[in-house]
Amino acid sequence: MITNIAWRNIWRSRTRSGVVIGAIVLGIWALIFMISFSSGMVDSYVNNAIENSIGHIQVHKAAFKEDADIDFYFEPTAELLQELRSISGVQGVAPRSLVNGMIGSSRSTNGTQILGVNPEAEQMVSSIPNKIIDGEYLSQKTKNPLVIGDALAKKLKVKIRSKVVLTFQDLEGNITAGAFRIVGIFDTGNKLFDEGMAFVRRNDLNNLLGNEGIAHELSFLLSEPDSLKAIQALVQKKMPNLLVESYSEVSPDLKLYEGQIQTSATIFMIIIMLALLFGIINTMLMAVLERFRELGMLMAVGMNKFRVFSMIVLETIMLSAVALLPGLLLGWGTVKYYAQKGIDMSAFSKGLEQFGMAQIVYPSLESVIYQQLALAVAITAVLGALYPAWKAISLKPVEAIRKI
Amino acid sequence: MTVIETTGVTKVYNPDKIAVHALKGVDLKIEAGEFTAIVGPSGSGKTTLLNIIGGLDRPTEGVVKVGGKDISTLTDNQLIDFRKDHIGFVFQAYNLIPVLTAKENVGFVMLLQKRPEAERNARVMELLKAVGLEDQIDKRPSEMSGGQQQRVAVARALASKPAFILADEPTANLDAASTANLLDIMAKLNKEEGITFVFSTHDQRVIDRARRVLTLDDGVIISEDIRSDS
Repeated sequence: MITNIAWRNIWRSRTRSGVVIGAIVLGIWALIFMISFSSGMVDSYVNNAIENSIGHIQVHKAAFKEDADIDFYFEPTAELLQELRSISGVQGVAPRSLVNGMIGSSRSTNGTQILGVNPEAEQMVSSIPNKIIDGEYLSQKTKNPLVIGDALAKKLKVKIRSKVVLTFQDLEGNITAGAFRIVGIFDTGNKLFDEGMAFVRRNDLNNLLGNEGIAHELSFLLSEPDSLKAIQALVQKKMPNLLVESYSEVSPDLKLYEGQIQTSATIFMIIIMLALLFGIINTMLMAVLERFRELGMLMAVGMNKFRVFSMIVLETIMLSAVALLPGLLLGWGTVKYYAQKGIDMSAFSKGLEQFGMAQIVYPSLESVIYQQLALAVAITAVLGALYPAWKAISLKPVEAIRKI
Repeated sequence: MTVIETTGVTKVYNPDKIAVHALKGVDLKIEAGEFTAIVGPSGSGKTTLLNIIGGLDRPTEGVVKVGGKDISTLTDNQLIDFRKDHIGFVFQAYNLIPVLTAKENVGFVMLLQKRPEAERNARVMELLKAVGLEDQIDKRPSEMSGGQQQRVAVARALASKPAFILADEPTANLDAASTANLLDIMAKLNKEEGITFVFSTHDQRVIDRARRVLTLDDGVIISEDIRSDS
């Protein structure tokens, strides 16, 4: 009967209940969208970083992590690479030589990281080959081909077919240089990355370094990112003398960024729940104050304080429950729609480039968030009911009945 | 059998500020089957007396016994439970739960008492028939007249088979016809089923129907008028 009374009481003032329900629906909808949008931006940043160069897993000599010196190399054999590529869940493995040096054109010079890659293997782990906006990726046709980012090309004032000189230290410690021809210009949308990287064939770079078979890094791209930890452990077992790291260990800023987004999502949720809380308290307090006499009568005829308290709390929970489902559905529908269509942020492309984010953001949301939201709304409803319910049971029937 | 007994009941409001002595040592006994009106001018203390008898308020001094039990020492929660099982109320207004039908309102107290559904339903129909509202069982208070609402309130007050019914100005908001109707029902229930009614009232029509009239003035019972069956 209490449930019955509580349910019917909600609809006594349809306008007021409608306003609260509307507020909760909008709050939940907005929250789901905000969290999914933030999550989509994180995914964009992280995925860009992984697909551009980091990969899901990287292998180095342990000392290379502290000091990216060219002397800290290893020599992966073809058999080892094949064995690593055959691990279930691994999409591709690419060996790389890494050198820090200078790139110079006839007009300008710039510090840059030079990556020597195997083009065929690199296409399995990196999205750079798909982001060529002018020319082509590293091919066998040209002698000493080089691919650079659009931002670097602009800085050096070069274009396709332009010649540049790469200058760096070789394994003997001598300063060496090589002339390369630009065959491709890429644009990842990350200006920092595009300005700071140059890709050449690994054979060409290693010839200049003085040792053909070396690599400073293996980069893995996984077809099953959820199996990252397991695959990392397996790779470490196969290469016990080398350091095998996940992308978040290689690039702690990714982990930091993910954490910050999580934190801001939590803060969003708290703020919106607080706003809902005050709305609920206000509405239920009004409902209780309006019904003072009725509540006094109920206690007079024998409804004990626990039942009165429960009735108020139940009304609040029901009110929130009515709003919860439409809010979740609207949020889910919006996320589903934009997850496919994407949200065009090109108006902010300049800013997004600085942070390495794509111009199209695809919102994403784990299903556990919906459960967390439902729980948050339930808790907020209960908290919102406490004060009005306490007010209801604090009144004395004799005073309430006489209240004008 | 004495249903209600008060001994030296005193009620003082705002004792620390400007003290108002609403009741001054009231001694009262009401026996089973009485149809008693408590009358007096405004501020005489009749509503205060009714509230104290009904366990809605506590005396500053004195003892209140209902069915032999001293209720003045019960806690708030104990009083709520006691009222549920022993006392029926008919208020001047706001008697009924607006969102419940007549049938649900009458059955409400029995639901609080956790009576079985079959017993509740039978009693509800019996009472609604007794007050002449068997054709209004699914109507909500907003769909009924003031008189009909008060009759439902009487039915509800009777549902838990209380020791007595307290009615505080039950006819104050009713027209003449509804008042007469209500009083007929109450008098009939009193006569045929021996249900004890205690009224607080200004209404002469109620006073005329009472078999015992206690006059209160300035917190003291100044007179008692016992009449033959009316």
